[in-house]
Amino acid sequence: MRQLLTGLRHFTDGVAAAMLAAIFFVFLVQISARYLFNFPIGWTVEVSLTLWLWLVFWGGGFCLRASDHIRFDMLYLSVSRRTQRVFGAVAAILIIAAFAISFLPTVEYVWFYKIKRSNTLGIRLHYVFGIYLVFMLVIMARYSAILWKFLSGKEQVEGPIVSYSRIDEGAIK
Amino acid sequence: MSTAFMLALFALAVLAAIGAPIALSMVVSAVAYLLVSGQDLSLASEQFIQAVYDSTLLLAVPLFIVAANIMNVGAISDRLLEFCKALVGRFKGGMAQVDILVSLIFSGMSGSAVADAAGVGQVTIKMMLKTGHYTPGFAGAVVAASATIGPIIPPSIPMVLYALVSNTSIGYLFLGGVIPGLLMTLTLMIMTAVIARRRNIPAEAAVPLRQIPSVTFRALPALMMPVILLGGIYGGATTPTEAAAVAAFYALLVAGILYRSLTWSALYHVFVDASRSSASVGLVIGSALIFNYIIATEQIPQSLSVFMTGLELTRGGFLLFTMVLFLLLGCVLDATTIILVIIPLFLPTANALGIDPVHFGVVSVVNCMIGLITPPYGILLFVVNGTTGIPVKDIVKEGVPFFCALLASLILIVFIPDLVLWLPRYFGYEG
Repeated sequence: MRQLLTGLRHFTDGVAAAMLAAIFFVFLVQISARYLFNFPIGWTVEVSLTLWLWLVFWGGGFCLRASDHIRFDMLYLSVSRRTQRVFGAVAAILIIAAFAISFLPTVEYVWFYKIKRSNTLGIRLHYVFGIYLVFMLVIMARYSAILWKFLSGKEQVEGPIVSYSRIDEGAIK
Repeated sequence: MSTAFMLALFALAVLAAIGAPIALSMVVSAVAYLLVSGQDLSLASEQFIQAVYDSTLLLAVPLFIVAANIMNVGAISDRLLEFCKALVGRFKGGMAQVDILVSLIFSGMSGSAVADAAGVGQVTIKMMLKTGHYTPGFAGAVVAASATIGPIIPPSIPMVLYALVSNTSIGYLFLGGVIPGLLMTLTLMIMTAVIARRRNIPAEAAVPLRQIPSVTFRALPALMMPVILLGGIYGGATTPTEAAAVAAFYALLVAGILYRSLTWSALYHVFVDASRSSASVGLVIGSALIFNYIIATEQIPQSLSVFMTGLELTRGGFLLFTMVLFLLLGCVLDATTIILVIIPLFLPTANALGIDPVHFGVVSVVNCMIGLITPPYGILLFVVNGTTGIPVKDIVKEGVPFFCALLASLILIVFIPDLVLWLPRYFGYEG
C-alpha cells in the first residue's frame, strides 16, 4: 500500500512537472513563431491557459503536501497536541462539508459546458473544467483520511506539531 | 453588509486561525455565503475556475517561478556573488553589503521575495557566519530585509496581481518599481554601513582592481538577464507574460549550456518544485478572486468609498491611513491576500481622490513586502528560519533597524510620487 502511494506520488508529481514544462515550451513556440518566422499562432494561448488550469487543480489536489499550502499557522503550532487535534478535525469537517454540498451543483455547472467548445481548439469545455471536479473529490478524500486519523488518534506525531514538515515526514499522508 | 457576508468573514477568520490552508478556507467561507444568501452553490466553483482560466496575465506567475528556481540551482548566483564581492566587499560589513547588492541584481531576474531569501540568501548567510563577525540574527535580518527588494524591481509577481485587480498596465507598474527598489537598496546599505561602523565589522579582503573586469565578464551573462527581460517588454517585442518565458529560457541557456551547471535530474526537480509552488500560489489567487466576487456583489468598495469621501480625507491622509492599515495587516496576513482582497476595497476611494493607480500600486506593493518581515506572520522570517535554523526572535530583534530603513523608503515614495512616476512617464505613461 505504502509502495503504491509512493509510486502514485511520483506519477502525480511527474504529470504536474510535465504540464508546467509544456506551458513553458508552448510559450517559446508562440514567441518564436511570431518573431522568428513572422507567423503568429493563436492556439498557444488556449493550450497554455488550459494547462495552467489543470496544473493548479491537479497539483492542488494531488501534489501539495501539508507544508506546501499557504496558511497562517502561528496559533496551530503553539497549542497542545490535543487542541491541535480539535483544530485539525474542525477544519477537516468544514472543508469536507463545503465541498460535499457544492459538489452536485458544480457537476451541473461543468456539465452545462458540454454544449460549448473552446475558442480555437474546439475541445468541449466540460472536459477542460472537469479537472475541478477531480480536485473536489481528491480534497474530500484527503481530508476524510486526515479526519479519520485525527479522530482515531492514529497519526504518529509525538508531542505537539511544531512545523508542518513534521506532518509531511510521515505522520499524516 | 449582509448577514451572509458577516458569516462568511467569520468562517474565514476561524478557519484561517486554526491553520486550515488559506485557499480552502476561502472556498468554505464562499460556499457558506452562497448557502446563507440563498444563491446557487456552484457559483463558488464557477468563480474559482474562471479566475484561473480567464487570465493570460496570471500565466506569468508559474513562468517567473521557473526562472527563479533555475537561477537558484545553476551557478548563476555563485558568479553574481563573486561579482558583488569584488564591488562592495572592501567596505566595512562587506559581506552584508554583498548580500544587499546581490539581492538587488537577483531581483531583476526573479519576481518573488521568497525565492530570493531561500536561494541566494541562504548562501550569503552561510558566508557571513563563516567570517565569524556577524551574529546569526544580524545575518538573517539582512537577508530577510534585502529579499523584500525582489518584487519591487521588475519582474514582480505581486505587481502582476495588482495589475489584475486594478486593470493597471503591468509594464508601467514594473517601471514604477525601479526607483523605489533602488531607494530601498540604498537605505538598507546606509543602515548596514552605520551598524558595521558601530560594531566594527571588518571588510572582506579587497579584490584587486585589475581582477574586476574578469569577474564582471564571468558574471556578465547573468547580469544581462534584467536587460533582456525589460528590453523585451519595453521594446514592445514581448508581452510581460512572454517576457517571463523568455527569462526562464535565458536562465536555462545560461545555467545549462554556458555555465554547464544544470543536470537533467536537477532540471526535473526544478520543474517538480516549481509546479508545486505554482499550484499552491494558483489556488490562493483563484480562491481570493472568489472572495473578491463576493465583496463586489456586496458593493463593499463603493460603500467604503462613500464613507471615506465623507471623512474628507486628503490624499496624503488617505495614503497614510492605508499604509498604516496595510502594515498592520501585513503582520497577520500574507501579501497575496492583501493585494487580491484588501487593496481592491480601497481602489474606488483612491480613484475618487485622484491618486494615480500606478503610484498607489507600487506604494502598496512596497508596503506588503515590508509586511513580509513583520512578526508574527512574516513569511521571509519563516523562510530564513526554515533554511538556516536561525531563531525567528533573533532575526526580528536584529531586524528593527532594517525595518526602519525600509519604512523610510516607503515614506519617501508615498509623499514624493515622482519617485515612482518619473520613469513610467519617461516611457510614455500619461498619468
